[in-house]
Order: sequence, then C-alpha cells, then structure tokens
Amino acid sequence: MSPISLSKWARLKSPWILHFNSGACNACDIEVVALLTPRYDVERFGILLKGTPRHADVLLATGPVTRQTALRLKRIYELMPEPKFVIAVGTCASSGAPFKKCYNVLGGIDKVIPVDVYVPGCPPKPEAIIYGVTKLLEKIRRAAE
Amino acid sequence: MKTTTLEEDIISTLKGMLGESILESKSPRLRRVYISVKRKAHRRAVSALLKVFPSTILSTITGIDLGETIEINYHFWCGKAEVTIRTNVPKSKPEIETITDIIPGASLYEREVHDLLGVRFINHPNLAKLLLPESWPENSYPLRKDWNPKQMGEIHDSSEKPLTIGGTRTETNGGTLVNVVVGPQHPALHEPERFLFKLDGEIVVDVEPRLGYAHRGIEKAAEHLMFFQDVHLVERVCGICNVAHTTCFCQAVEALGGIEIPPRAKYLRTIVHELNRIHSHLLLLGIAGLEIGFESLFQYLWRDRETVLDLTEKLTGNRVMAEYSTIGGVRRDLTPTLGDEIKRKLRKIKERLDFYREVFQSDPTIELRTKGIGVLSKENALKLCVVGPVARGSGVKSDVRKHDPYAAYEEAPFEEILYKDGDSWSRLMVRLDEVGESIDIITWAIDNIPSGPYRIRVPRRMPEGESLSRVEAPRGELIHYVRGNGTVYPERVKIRSPTLANIISFREMIRGCYIADIPAVLVRLDPCFSCTDRMVFIDEKSGRRWVWTMNELKARRRDP
Repeated sequence: MSPISLSKWARLKSPWILHFNSGACNACDIEVVALLTPRYDVERFGILLKGTPRHADVLLATGPVTRQTALRLKRIYELMPEPKFVIAVGTCASSGAPFKKCYNVLGGIDKVIPVDVYVPGCPPKPEAIIYGVTKLLEKIRRAAE
Repeated sequence: MKTTTLEEDIISTLKGMLGESILESKSPRLRRVYISVKRKAHRRAVSALLKVFPSTILSTITGIDLGETIEINYHFWCGKAEVTIRTNVPKSKPEIETITDIIPGASLYEREVHDLLGVRFINHPNLAKLLLPESWPENSYPLRKDWNPKQMGEIHDSSEKPLTIGGTRTETNGGTLVNVVVGPQHPALHEPERFLFKLDGEIVVDVEPRLGYAHRGIEKAAEHLMFFQDVHLVERVCGICNVAHTTCFCQAVEALGGIEIPPRAKYLRTIVHELNRIHSHLLLLGIAGLEIGFESLFQYLWRDRETVLDLTEKLTGNRVMAEYSTIGGVRRDLTPTLGDEIKRKLRKIKERLDFYREVFQSDPTIELRTKGIGVLSKENALKLCVVGPVARGSGVKSDVRKHDPYAAYEEAPFEEILYKDGDSWSRLMVRLDEVGESIDIITWAIDNIPSGPYRIRVPRRMPEGESLSRVEAPRGELIHYVRGNGTVYPERVKIRSPTLANIISFREMIRGCYIADIPAVLVRLDPCFSCTDRMVFIDEKSGRRWVWTMNELKARRRDP
C-alpha cells in the first residue's frame, strides 16, 4: 500500500457528515438520526453529524428533490469544501421512486448534483447506510492510493 | 332509529336557521353530515354552525374540479359529528368570500385551495403561495383536471428573495425590529421548512412560516393510480406516522365501497397503530431533550424506541414503512408467540416510563426550559383549530379515538390525556402519558383479539360516491377525503395532515419568547418542524447577513 497524506488519512478515519432532506417523507431522515443512537452508534467509526456544510466531507441526501429544494441542494453542495462526496440515501434519492412522475419532483439527487454512492431501500436500514458509508470510504482510499 | 337522531338533529337545526339556502342534505353513516348550500350562503352556514356548536373546529377545506364548476367543501368537526358544508363557484370566475374572519384557522387551508385550484378568496388577509414555489407560472393550477404539466417553467429558487413581514419599523425608543430567517436547510432532522422571525432585541415579535419545501404533489399522483396502488403511495406521505395514513385511507375506501372488514383485522390495525404512536412519541420526547441540551435523555429514549421498531418489524416486515393495512383488512397475521413477546417487551418500556416521568417532573433543566414557555390558551387553541397533543396540552378534548372511534377503539379501555396549562411542558407530558395508554391498549388488544380471517377479498372497482375518514395520528387528527367515480381510479383524494393544522398556532406560542426558545418551542409543537439548525440573521437597516449554527444558538440561550 502506497503512503497517503495526513489529510487523506484523517478523512478516512473520521468522515464528517451533513444531512439534507430534499423533500423526503422523514423515514430515511429518522433512520439517519438513528445511526447516532446507542444501538448503531456511528461515532465509534469517527462519523460525526455536522450542522453546517462548511464542516462536512460527505453529504447524506434524502428525498426525490422537489422543485423548491433543487437549487438549495445545489447551493449546499457548492458550500462544502473540496474534496466532497455525496451519498443518496433511499430509493427516492436514487431514482425518485413513487414520486418520479409527480409535478413538483425532479426525481433523484443525481439530477442536480453528482452522486458517489446510492443506498436503496424504503427506508434503508441503518446497517445499510453504514455499509454505504464504508463503500464510500473504500472508494476514497482507492482514489488516494 | 336512535343512532341517527344526532345527525338528523344537526340537519334540522341548520335547516331552521338557514331556510331556503340549503339545497341538499344527507347523512350517509354515523357521525357524517353533508350539507349543500347556495352560492354566497356559505358564510351564513358557517356562522350558524358555530352558534349551535361553539367548540366547532375547521378540519380542512377540499376543492374539487367538476368541469364547469369548482366545488368547495368545508369540513368541520363540531364535537359530535363531522359536518361538511358544500358550495361551488364557476370555473370561469372562481371567487368566493373568505371565512378567515369567522374562523382564523381557515387561513392556511384557503391558501392551499388557492394554490392548487386557483380559487380566489375575497378579503383573505394574505393570499400568498403556500405549497408551490414562488416561481410557479401564473394561472397554472395542478389539481384542475385540464391542467397540463407542460405549462411549468424553469426552476427558480424562491427562497432567495428578500423577506419582510410588513415594512421596516422603528420602535419609539429607537430600536429596530430584526428579521431572522430559519431554514430550510437543517442537518439534524426532518422536513425542510423556512420561518421568518421578526425580533425586537432577543424577543420574538412575529413569525411567518413558509411551507412547501417537501411538497411533492401526492394528491395529484393519487388520481392517476388505482385504489390498491394508492395504499402504498399514501404510506409514503410521512415516514413517521405512515400507519395512520394507510389506516385512514383504507378506512375511507372501505366506507366508499361499503366493505366491512373482519373484526380480527380491526384489532390488528389497532395494535400496529399504537406501536406506531409509541415510536413517534418516544422520538419526539428524545428530540425535545436534545433541543434543550439534554442529550443523554435523547440517547436513552431512542434506545428504548429501537425495541418498538423491532416489534413493528417482526409483526409487519419493516422497521419503519409498515405497509400493514390494506383495503379489506391487513397483510399479516399475529401469532400467539409474537403476541406474548410484544406484551413482555412493552412491559419493560412501561417500567422505563416511570423513570422518564420522574425526569420530566423533577429535572430543573426541563422545568426551566419548558414550564410557562410557548403558552397556547384554550380559547386560542379552539380559534386556531389545533389538533392532537397540542390541543390536549391546552385542555381541548380532541382525541379522535375517543370521540369518533374507529378500528377497535370503541371497546378499548383508555383515558384521554388532558393537561390544562397549555405550555411546552404540558404538551410533552401529554405525549409521555399517551405512551402508557398505548401500551395498555396493545396489551388489551392482544388479550382480547377475536379469531377468524384477517383479510377479505375486495373488488378493485369502487362505486361513485364520497367518504371522509378520520384517525388520531401521533400528531393529531388526520383526515382523508376520497371521492370515487365508479372506476378503479379515485376522482379526488384529499389529505389533511395534523402538522398543517398545528403550524398556524406556532405564531401564537412564540410571541414574546426568546430567540433561544425557538428550537425548543418548535419541536414541542410537532417533530416534523425541527428545522432550526442553521439561521441566517439579517439586519434590516444595513442588510448585513450572518449565520449561526445550532450550537452557537444553543450557547446563546437564556440564562435561567
């Protein structure tokens, strides 16, 4: 394994996460919060939920993207410092799912910003979201090497 | 005949007061009354209803496009029955007088009908956009049958427009009011919503919510799916009270089609409905702890909540999206072993509940941050038509399970929890006590469940007609109004979630509170609106903007 820089090593050891709801039904959002509670406790992996995009490495986005949140989502993505990664949590965020043809819905996070990892499920179990984050970390590690 | 007396009484009383203005009246089933009145007579009809039943609250307003005319239905809960007052306006000139001066709680519902169907309410104080983006094209109303999706323009972010409540005002002592924008981005939880607060120093003077960030257009989508497909669509209206939505929708369709479900299914629906309520209330109590900086309470409550989610998963197959109710019954049966396990595990939660009650009653932090803060008086609660634990925290009897029983609630022994102080603490205690009642209901239902089938086969095609179904969702009264046209597709599905009913009261509660109380009061209103993690502060004079995160905001909280 080739050596990686200190900042990249730190990013792999403690990815800070920002959560944004782009019009989801709350189910995925509750499961994201459940990650922080004693049973799943993602802080043991160094994962922290942050309050502002400026502190975050990873954007956990849920929801099928409504017209009203679309540009807001883009702006939050632009506020995050480089390098930044996006995980689409839930089937709505991945494809728009049952709301795909609704008039106020664009149909998926990747219609607005680039997505690195898709976590399907309605809602995905917290274990699945953790698995999605570890998949992303693998991706970052491969890119860093 | 005795059972129909109440409904007939209401009709005859109103007929006596309104005379010839009433065109048609009917009562298709228990506690449901429909009255059609002439154009322009709706205000007199509403006043008459309020005179007969002073504690009447407005449930919602449904608009339906009938081709030549737009029908407007005002649904009222008068304490004993759901009375629908119906009138219509021509589509060429869709104008009707507002009822906001009679019932202030009608404000948001009228804005909703204006948004989606283009009905102008004359003399409405502020007929601005409620759900649709501000960039939505003019004269384009999605719920009209002849609406064409191609009329939509490009997306523009409406939230970037400068916001003001009224004009800039300088106080007599020289101080200025400051606008504060909260949301829509909020990292912790739930739906994106935006609030505009007007501050005098640290004290909140006024607030205006901007909803619609999560507006997806489910009511329109429901018209394009078959009844049995809609069950899965309405499940996804809300991820927390999903069971309430499916139960409510299935009940409405069953009433429409005259379907009687087996008694066992009614009991199973009750069990899942109450499991859902326990998980939702524990969730809210945890978040309420988090917002006042009591994080260990949040962690404890959410750990116990996982037990309930496990039980839901074992019974229904999914932790969150239960998809349990279906038209004609439920999808899965309860085995005796699982019934015993549910009872055993809930008994443990009930023991924990005593501990939480002690914390909420005796902890000085909770007392200082919740007692006497965000007060909503009983009069205002009635005037603004609030529902659920918010109403019961102000002493208003509003439990649908008690007053308009459905599923197995008619037989279930339980108490309606009422607190009369109307402050944040009362609203939390209502929820805490209701968890205990829910556990009792589940235990009773498992012990007394009748045997037999849990599902019957139903036709896909539903007859022409209408039905209105109410359930007590964890956040309050939930209403589904379904109209069938004789095909497999519904003509109109109207959903009124409890959050829309309660959000209007936030203005009343927060006036006079401190900035630091905003997240705490907001959360206790309804967990769907804990969206205060990032705030942009705008100084009105200089237009200078700055941003506070939730943690900075918490650091500024009022010293006790």
